[in-house]
Amino acid sequence: MTGFLRNSWKHRSHIIMCLPVVLTLWFFHYVPMGGGIVMAFKEFDYSMGIWGSPFNGLENFKFLTASKQVFTTMTFNTIMYYLIFTGIGTLLNVVVAIAIDQFLFKRMAKTMQSIMIIPVFISYAAVQFIVYAFLSSDSGLLNNALGTSVRWYSTASLWPYILTIVRMWKNVGYGSVLYMSVLAGIDSQLYEAAEIDGAGKWQQIWHITIPALLPMVSIMLLLSVGGMMHSDTGLFYQVTRNSGTLYPTTQVIDSYVLNAIFSNSNFGFVAAASLFQSAVGAIMVLISNAAVKKFSPENALF
Amino acid sequence: MNHITKKKGIPCGQYVLGGCLLTYTVFCALPVLLVFVAAFTDEGAITRNGYSFFPEKWSFVGMNSVLKYGKQLVTSYGVTIFITVAGTVLGLLMMSLFAFAVSRKGFRIRYLLSIYALIPLIFKGGQLSNYIVYTNQYHLKDSLLALIMPLCVTTMNIIILRTYIQSSIPEELMDSARIDGAGEYRTFFQIVLPLMKPSLAAVGYMMATTYWNDWQNALLFIESDSKKPLQLLLVNIQRTIEFLINARDIPSSVMAQMQGTIPQQSATMATVIVVIGPIMIAYPFFQKYFIKGLTVGSVKG
Repeated sequence: MTGFLRNSWKHRSHIIMCLPVVLTLWFFHYVPMGGGIVMAFKEFDYSMGIWGSPFNGLENFKFLTASKQVFTTMTFNTIMYYLIFTGIGTLLNVVVAIAIDQFLFKRMAKTMQSIMIIPVFISYAAVQFIVYAFLSSDSGLLNNALGTSVRWYSTASLWPYILTIVRMWKNVGYGSVLYMSVLAGIDSQLYEAAEIDGAGKWQQIWHITIPALLPMVSIMLLLSVGGMMHSDTGLFYQVTRNSGTLYPTTQVIDSYVLNAIFSNSNFGFVAAASLFQSAVGAIMVLISNAAVKKFSPENALF
Repeated sequence: MNHITKKKGIPCGQYVLGGCLLTYTVFCALPVLLVFVAAFTDEGAITRNGYSFFPEKWSFVGMNSVLKYGKQLVTSYGVTIFITVAGTVLGLLMMSLFAFAVSRKGFRIRYLLSIYALIPLIFKGGQLSNYIVYTNQYHLKDSLLALIMPLCVTTMNIIILRTYIQSSIPEELMDSARIDGAGEYRTFFQIVLPLMKPSLAAVGYMMATTYWNDWQNALLFIESDSKKPLQLLLVNIQRTIEFLINARDIPSSVMAQMQGTIPQQSATMATVIVVIGPIMIAYPFFQKYFIKGLTVGSVKG
């Protein structure tokens, strides 16, 4: 113990260097963390604050079972979109990365890649207007081009497709950068040797490129499991214009919580749902990290 | 597809591949292009024919009416630039100090500190608790601090910076500085920080985009006009339009009065350009650091 203290004193300058981060994390992450846990078991009263409000045991969790419909729908949607986005997203990331890597006109490939990355930097508050320009029922581009009069913003069943397309448009270009860097690291002698042995392009991709990408793909997939319970809030809140008729297919936990804060209601239910979200999220992060650790220790987060 | 690859000449598969890539690139670019076209389309043309890539009439009215926001636009630009610069600089400085300290061998508490920084990644308080703690306990409602501090320090960025220090900056370099009598602060500011440039640029640009694009915290916390960032301006335009569409039973006299203030479609798109423009212009300058700076960090944790 004295050794530990002496070591800390010796490194006092390092401790001071760490202080700003330690304090910021404490006030802006740890305190809300504690608040989130405590609040799920309290009857919240704004005038008394989180810490002063009276405990009400498991009362809040009874809301979860009472409004089972809402709760299961948003949990289902959260997980469903996670699976769709991760599945299709990973596939497209890999396909785009391989396509750009295989393309012989390097300068052109680079320009195209730069354009593909642009959407990721546009905020959802702006994307929302772009999507509206395509989908608005009377002045929208799609209805005009197809000669239809679909009321996109009130047809819930279409939105899983729309949101998937928007999300892919926004994220695939950027997502492929990571895989591109793996491909850049493949020894070109491997390809030359394969070509001498008479392997065609497709065989080269199948036997050299894809196996080289697999470790990174598995790592990214495993790491993403940790974020399963959290969504890209802007996509579900802004792009859908927060339209009530779309909730059955677009309401995720994060957007529900946001709505509840704005309408200043249902805090008990939301607190219980949030704790559920955080707890499942934490378990998922731990599981995914343990899996990565087993699979490739140097890529584990901790 | 192209089993016969001649020594010289381009295999025809390349053209197919090029075609596919080009199609996807166009798919990515078209929506952005539409914003620019719509911003310069005559309002009447949009109302009559809807949005189009080939408008029947061009016009600068949309762009001009953005300037009508005048003072508010300037204020919002100022707010957004302030939170972006302040947040990014503050965050980078704090996180690289932390990353430097915890990568120092022989510093025993570093394991504890690493775990401390890791826990927020695993367990989150949730938006509701964040909101209540920030407003009710810290009284940050309508304060710019509520926009800056929550996004300032993230575990992921700390990991990226720490990995960069550990993998790309030789230990011997820091040791020799110490032997030469440089204190820890001097070693950090004069030796380590300049060498961290690639990862600082990559992480910094990502942080800057996050700040620039953050509408959620603005919507939750900001009330007064003098503190509204650009994204909130966009959200407000959308809300006004929504309100007018839904409120069909507004008396026509009131409606006529509001006519001048209804955000028009071309003007809205012009605003979108004004909001997303700067981050697009900055992008090419930072692009070269992406692959180098980001992947080195995120691949190896």
